[in-house]
Amino acid sequence: MSNIVQTYDVCLVSDDDWLAAGEICRLCRLDLEAVIEFADLGLIAPRGHSPEQWQLPAAALPRLAMAGRLMRDLGVNASGAALVIDLLDTQRELERELERLARLAPQ
Amino acid sequence: MEYRDYYKVLGVARTATAEEIKKSYRRLARKYHPDVSKEKDAEQKFKEVQEAYEVLKDPEKRAAYDQLGSDWKSGQQFRPPPDWTSGFEFRGGGPRGGGGAHVFEEQGFSDFFSSLFGGASPFATSAQRQPRGGRDHHARIDIDLEEAFGGGTRTLELKRPEVKPDGTVELRTHTVRVSIPAGVADGQLIRLAGQGEAAPGGGRAGDLYLEVHVRPHRLYQLEGRDVTLTLPIAPWEAALGATVTVPTLGGAVDMQVPAGAQSGQKLRLRGRGLPGQPPGDAYVQLKVVVPPASSPEARALYETMRTKLAGFDPRADLKR
Repeated sequence: MSNIVQTYDVCLVSDDDWLAAGEICRLCRLDLEAVIEFADLGLIAPRGHSPEQWQLPAAALPRLAMAGRLMRDLGVNASGAALVIDLLDTQRELERELERLARLAPQ
Repeated sequence: MEYRDYYKVLGVARTATAEEIKKSYRRLARKYHPDVSKEKDAEQKFKEVQEAYEVLKDPEKRAAYDQLGSDWKSGQQFRPPPDWTSGFEFRGGGPRGGGGAHVFEEQGFSDFFSSLFGGASPFATSAQRQPRGGRDHHARIDIDLEEAFGGGTRTLELKRPEVKPDGTVELRTHTVRVSIPAGVADGQLIRLAGQGEAAPGGGRAGDLYLEVHVRPHRLYQLEGRDVTLTLPIAPWEAALGATVTVPTLGGAVDMQVPAGAQSGQKLRLRGRGLPGQPPGDAYVQLKVVVPPASSPEARALYETMRTKLAGFDPRADLKR
């Protein structure tokens, strides 16, 4: 089994990029209905009049991709996935705060 | 290649019902899902569980797998018998689940799975075999904070299924070198155009998306593009003010600690976080470290402070 070595320059998906809803669906492997539900639940804040014309910030991609994985792999619905993501965010904030306080404590 | 005992992976008997298999998969998926699990090797274990469920949830695949017999042990050297799919009728249905959130995915599955159920096998769904554009692949890349700050080059090993002339599928390893742009933040995506799944019908290959995870750092905490450093200072530096040298990602800088600074106070070094438009800031959180009264001189100094600073009450707030 031979190894093929290639070198790539890559494109960084910038936080400032706005992507069409269809592109977001493709990238996160979600259907548009799920994306609409995530917007209703406040997980994402799209711009544009109708869902077909929506644009979403690229910064929302990691959260939506995670939502897609949770729905596919764990069988949870959109509300469940949004709740898990909110709780994981809270957990991360608390862990950061705990780490900050631990660094302040005497050695 | 090595045989995989899918029943053992899911912790169920060979006689388990579909409901028992589903229940066990759900329990293990929740335990090892890389997005929520803190278990060691969660990602690898989750892939094994997913692969086992992909076979055992499907009556056709399960029956074919069972036909291999129950004498095999996990890890034992294995080659599929040449006629092992004979006697089966294949549904060849479209993509399962209907919605975009339920597309079949065999990315990252073992050689064992690919040889039995992969792209060229009659068990692959017709959607897998139809000419179409390649799907995007997603992977996670762990980098150090220094690489996020200054950029760097990483070598990745990507496994891609390739159909050999005899029709069997082999996972081939491609080694690719990726330039990581300076200023990439935790959770950000890097796109490698055309490096996802190949398009069997000659269509456009999918892209490979790498989701960046920045490893925790010994000194700095990262939040977005901002970094926070806890800086120990002496009591006299806090009380009288001082110029101290602070390590930042871009190199050491001198910083003025204002007189009367307290433990926990944060000072900002503008633009000293991760590069970007705009760049992040570096926050320096002060931590006053009290020298031990371990010598007669140090003890005498503390005694003098107690006498001379008798009006100082650190617990005044508690008495209100």
